[in-house]
Amino acid sequence: MKLTMPALTVAITATLLGASASALAHHAFAAEFDRNKPVEVSGAVTKVEWTNPHARIYVDVVNDKGAIENWNFEMGTPNILMRNGWRRDSLKLGDKVKVTGWRARNAPLVGNAGEVFQADGTKMFTDSSVRNAAK
Amino acid sequence: MRRQSASAAGLYGGVLSVLLLVSHLAQAQWPDYPTPNVPLTAGGTPDYLAPAPRTAEGHPDFSGIWELWGRSAPGRAAAEALGPDAKPAPSPVPLGTFFDLGANLEGGLPYTPSALALRDARKASDSRDNPDAHCLPMGFTQLHLHPQPHKIVQLPNLFVMMWEGNSGLRQIFTDGRKLPDNDPQPWWYGYSVGHWEGDTLVVESIGLLDGGWLDVNGSPLSDKAKITERFQRPQYGKMTVDFTVEDPVNYTKPFTVRIEHGLMLNTELIEFICQENEQSAQYFDPQ
Repeated sequence: MKLTMPALTVAITATLLGASASALAHHAFAAEFDRNKPVEVSGAVTKVEWTNPHARIYVDVVNDKGAIENWNFEMGTPNILMRNGWRRDSLKLGDKVKVTGWRARNAPLVGNAGEVFQADGTKMFTDSSVRNAAK
Repeated sequence: MRRQSASAAGLYGGVLSVLLLVSHLAQAQWPDYPTPNVPLTAGGTPDYLAPAPRTAEGHPDFSGIWELWGRSAPGRAAAEALGPDAKPAPSPVPLGTFFDLGANLEGGLPYTPSALALRDARKASDSRDNPDAHCLPMGFTQLHLHPQPHKIVQLPNLFVMMWEGNSGLRQIFTDGRKLPDNDPQPWWYGYSVGHWEGDTLVVESIGLLDGGWLDVNGSPLSDKAKITERFQRPQYGKMTVDFTVEDPVNYTKPFTVRIEHGLMLNTELIEFICQENEQSAQYFDPQ
């Protein structure tokens, strides 16, 4: 129970609070990411940076040619994530995740995480800056 | 939640229960220290509608942690009390918004032609030059409208505002001094003095750096601007700030917007050191 509670909290929060709890963009979303270039990848977590101004997760993904690419996904700020149930160890190294989001404009393996799904399908609140970014 | 056929009231109660559970669990993620002297309702819950506490001098005491009204527990409680379909009464002063400070002002902000052109250019470049996007301090209105909370420490002669967002820090002198008249060196947070008009704390600020951003869209502010904030705490759980901008360089007339905050109990600010791992600007597309 103890182990699953943070993930459960994150999942419940993601479901119920949705956009209303989202952070406003710390950085200029549209200057950095292209909302017309969605991305969806699955792989293993290799690093979690529990840092400001954005928490980041790094994911090893096997590409079409069988090579491993290490993606860098930006999330929201640790303070907002913490208030929505995250802990710095909610994701552990090696955890299998699916990430959907948007590609950076000028870096091939960088993205903004709109949704992170754990191996059991649990959706985690990412505090993505996209929701409140200027259209 | 468990039954598709649950009544609206039951569903609402269920959602609230889960929200309370989430709230309780979320608090466990950060040291939990109870706020002292919270007025309580007969049911033992925080009475956000109680009168504001007062200092030994008899002024309303704004000390506490505040977050944007719509995000806060008292703000949500107020919305829930109105019922799911009701809308709150319109604010007597137009509410400012984070992206467009004048969104609720009839006709928008009264830009001069050059200010409008600058705002449009800033917006068209996806706000990439917003100081906050480069870990530089946010202007007062961006701080007030930011989703991350702030803490007020009210002393007899000093009013301190500590903002979680980008570690913003403002000090407002309430010791009776006047605004400086010797062309003070402009600062990011300017020079602020406050005085009491009844239960309203009136804060005047000048000496702000030129080229400011009032909102994320880039409404400009010059170093000729004077800003007046009127702080009120009509209830224990609510603070309103009426924010008047006089900036003849950028606006054809003064304008006023309101920003509302709700009290946060049993928590503390969380550190936010923006330069720690800032990577975003390097991914901005060249223009």
